[in-house]
Amino acid sequence: MLKTTAGNGKSSLARVAVVAAGVVSPLGFGLRETLDSLREGRDCIAPVTRFSVAECRCKTAGQVADERLINDQPEAGRARRLHRASFMMIYALKEALAQEPRFKPELTVVGTTSGGMSYGEDYYRSLYRRDSLRDSPAWIANYPAQKPVIDAQEVFEISAPCQVIANACASGTNAIGHAFECVRSGRYERVLAGGYDALSELVFVGFDSLQASTPEKCRPFDRHRTGMVLGEGAAILALENLDAARERGARVLAEITGYGMSTDNFHLTQPDPSGIGPRRAMERALQSAQISADSVDYINAHGTATPFNDAAEGKAIGELFGRVPISSTKSMMGHSLGAAGAIEAIICLLALQHQFVPPNINFRAPDQLVDLNIVANEASRTVLRTVLSNSFGFGGTNASILMQKFEA
Amino acid sequence: MSLAIAGMGWVTPLGDGVDAVWEQLLYGHEACAEKISEQFGNRSYSAFRVPESALGRLASHPRLRRASAISRFAAAAGLQALQAAGVKVEPQNAERMALVFAISNGGVIYTKRFYRDIVEAGAQSARPLLFPETVFNAPASHLAAILEITGSTYTLVGDSAVGLLAIRMAEDLMMNEELEYCLVVGAEEVDWLLCDAYRRWRLLRLAPPLEPFNKTARGMILSEGAGAVLLSRTGPIMIAQTDAGAYYRKRTETEARSTSLSPAQTARSSTRQNAGRYGGYFRMQSSIRRSQQSVKVVGPRDYGR
Repeated sequence: MLKTTAGNGKSSLARVAVVAAGVVSPLGFGLRETLDSLREGRDCIAPVTRFSVAECRCKTAGQVADERLINDQPEAGRARRLHRASFMMIYALKEALAQEPRFKPELTVVGTTSGGMSYGEDYYRSLYRRDSLRDSPAWIANYPAQKPVIDAQEVFEISAPCQVIANACASGTNAIGHAFECVRSGRYERVLAGGYDALSELVFVGFDSLQASTPEKCRPFDRHRTGMVLGEGAAILALENLDAARERGARVLAEITGYGMSTDNFHLTQPDPSGIGPRRAMERALQSAQISADSVDYINAHGTATPFNDAAEGKAIGELFGRVPISSTKSMMGHSLGAAGAIEAIICLLALQHQFVPPNINFRAPDQLVDLNIVANEASRTVLRTVLSNSFGFGGTNASILMQKFEA
Repeated sequence: MSLAIAGMGWVTPLGDGVDAVWEQLLYGHEACAEKISEQFGNRSYSAFRVPESALGRLASHPRLRRASAISRFAAAAGLQALQAAGVKVEPQNAERMALVFAISNGGVIYTKRFYRDIVEAGAQSARPLLFPETVFNAPASHLAAILEITGSTYTLVGDSAVGLLAIRMAEDLMMNEELEYCLVVGAEEVDWLLCDAYRRWRLLRLAPPLEPFNKTARGMILSEGAGAVLLSRTGPIMIAQTDAGAYYRKRTETEARSTSLSPAQTARSSTRQNAGRYGGYFRMQSSIRRSQQSVKVVGPRDYGR
């Protein structure tokens, strides 16, 4: 829990507003399309087209269409060799800045897991097969994880320092959480936070080799769940000191009120079955927001649909929150790894703004081992004031953030 | 906010341990460059490798059994820093220490090996044991498990300035008064593939000697190892200032400001000039985003003698 003290010895924590947001994911381009997909419970998983999956068990993923991503972005036209991830970041940042053109960040914190991995693959494959390496300088230049963030900032003439967090699948939530604490501590007034990841063969085959991904439908928290499907996308949130935002007349979309993180040293890829890692992260988020568990109205779960994750997360949620409504929106768009936490934060934002809970689709039968209130298959209208979003990753990183409807 | 350095650790091609490596630096000793090659590559490269003896004091741990070199370097440096500070992580203070782990390329050796199987023999040949080690935060996860840190653990990815950016991030984290320490570790492992990539960027020279600041700068040789600093609130060496830095701007834009040419004009003129004077070296560098970080460290004048 963040605790800082002002010169007068009193606790001095700033409130943190979300003043703008942008997103691109399999659910759609922008907030409007994302909202429509969530309300309809649209299944945006499709056969993989980017590389051959003939030898993989899993054949599907949530994908962002290149035609719109690359061709519809005149801002990025100067550099056709940018990685797809850069185009995603540019799109998300463009949407956020369209809402808040005056937003000048002092820091940018973005999560990712694999940067421009597919360019690394192109380079290695060409070396190995002794193919042409004519494009290799561009592949190498666009491979680093920080490059899409810098590309997006350059397009919009932002030169804020960048912190690129790679905490596996928790990266996006870690980025938002860290940005939240930076503003809350008073050290920064305005921070851009988000996450991105683009599908790559290496990562796809990696999850397939672990048998973590499924050849079937992705069914989080279902008794017969068989694993995840991957996704991709990018999302950006503009965070600002609430007082400063109100002073300049900015529109406040929501508040971020808490952040919790824990490291679960059980195993590199598997959570502690007791659920202690997720539980600690959620407890710390509640402590950080200084609220009790019964104040939470909805949980956007990590919910990958792997047997291990959903069992550990479900246990922790059941013990801490009882029957609060939960859903995993990964059932609709896949698991976008480093982008997931940021995209799901935007889903929480939309849920708060439009007062509904998005569904956990493909759900057929509850898991008898955990007692959860799953928002099954259809969105439902409800009154939401406080929502929690979870992300957990390889390496035992667990992160949770709390968001609240803004009430002036 | 001022932070202190409570302990440091080093694993380098010059050996391990802060005092021992510092001694080597004072005497101007040079590490031995090793030739590394690859079965499908038609040239070999020189690189400065960490000698196996530098890891001799690293105790065995289940997490390190299959871990990549980068994880072992980081574990050795991190443990040294804690030992130098006389700090031991106990269950009651495990949440009061954060870990910020800085990397540029991460576990490139296992990443290459994992992908090689896929390219050579198809997806069904992919080895599931290797995949988790390809993830950027695997070394940080191993270190957190070895040290039994249960609080905040961040892996920060960036260019050559990422180590200093990590110190800046540690300072952000230490705004939380409940944190007592933040361990900052930077680690990297070298591989033929990295050498080849840097050569294609024309940043690499094929063999020693290195000639920094020489009139005819001819590139670098890659190295590996890890450095660790344990930051605390008090101690003999204070970090006086961390610059927010990381100010990314294209070289041409920076030059344009100082010469009042447009970026396009500068790009054309500097490309022509540099192509003539330095071959392709600076021309290639102009496409690389640049970041600047600085950390000012103050301490007793006789430190390290």
